[in-house]
Order: sequence, then C-alpha cells, then structure tokens
Amino acid sequence: MTSLPLFIMLCSGEHEKIQMAAMMASVGAVSDRKVHVFVSMNAILAFEKSRTTPESRYQGGPISKVMQEKGVPDALELFSQGKMLGELTMNACSMVMDVNGWDMDHLVDDLFDGMEGLTSFLSDAEKGQLITL
Amino acid sequence: MSERKTIDARGSFCPGPLMELIAGIKLAEVGEELEILSGDRGSAEDIPAWIAKVGHEYIKTDKIDDYWSIIVKKTK
Repeated sequence: MTSLPLFIMLCSGEHEKIQMAAMMASVGAVSDRKVHVFVSMNAILAFEKSRTTPESRYQGGPISKVMQEKGVPDALELFSQGKMLGELTMNACSMVMDVNGWDMDHLVDDLFDGMEGLTSFLSDAEKGQLITL
Repeated sequence: MSERKTIDARGSFCPGPLMELIAGIKLAEVGEELEILSGDRGSAEDIPAWIAKVGHEYIKTDKIDDYWSIIVKKTK
C-alpha cells in the first residue's frame, strides 16, 4: 500500500518543534513516504547560513537544553539525511523570504529546493496528511 | 553467505540509529544481513517497526547489557 504523502508546515522557531519536524520528515522519507516541508515565520531563522552553531540556531526550553547537552542528531542534519535517503522536498515560504529581503543564498546550502507560496503548498497538501508545527 | 556487517550506533539518540541502519542498507547487497547496535530504548522498538513497514526481513532483537542488537536482512 502506498502511504499518503506527509506535508509539514514548520512555523515555530522553537528548537523542540524544529527537532520534531526534522524527526518526522527524515523518518517519513526513509519509510517510503513522500515528505514536503514548508518553512515559514520564525522557523526560517534556524536555516540562516550565518548561524553556524547550534547555540545560535536554536532557541528553546528545557528539552532543547538537554537535547543539546546529550548531542541528539542535529535537526538540519536530519533534514539532510531525509533528502539523501528518501523523497524529501523542502521549500522556504516566499512571503517570509520577501519580508526579510532574502534570496535562497541566505539559507543553508543543499537543503532547500526553492521558494513556494502558501496557496501552492496548501493545495498540494490536500493530497496528503498535513502537520503544522 | 557474506559476512554480517555490524553498525555500532550506541551513544546515538533517536532517530540516529535508524538513519545509520538505513544508510548501511543502501550500501548492502540484497540478501545481506546487517546488525545494528543501539543503546536507545525507542530505537529498539522503532527499528523493527521500520523494517516491517518497508518490507525487509526482521531476524531478531537481543538485549545485551545496556544496549540492543537488532538484525535485519535486506530483501530488495
């Protein structure tokens, strides 16, 4: 049986939510499931190329702290593994890129497939399961 | 039969052991068995679930001291 595609709308800048999105995206992608991730609002800040350390990339609460202390797999690395090992596409929200005046070069390399509008993402998401974080 | 490969993912947290196993399976030949060692409690349940989901052959899980040994055969 073919699984429904998984659509993840990642809006929160909280480390815990970004980590959960990365876990769902990577595990979904390696489980023969197409995964589409749409990154918007404060979540996009974690993907700025200029943020080179986990401390500068992730803001969160007590679980964020313990995850960093224990060295759980980095969220960006999990997204990257999902792309390498499965069918995972990632798009940056065109609105949040526009208001920041950013182009794709502003974001980390080799993770995003491009920019996308919310209307397009929601339209595609009608064909699958949508999760918002 | 070819020698079974062991991937030592002890010390890695979920979903690290699963991702390491999948990377190993990608490189393995069909029919080859792989053993993944994991100290992560969730992975001990998640890895057999993943094997069943994608259709490889689950061989067995053994609890050894404070870690698990899970063996899978690549079938496709």
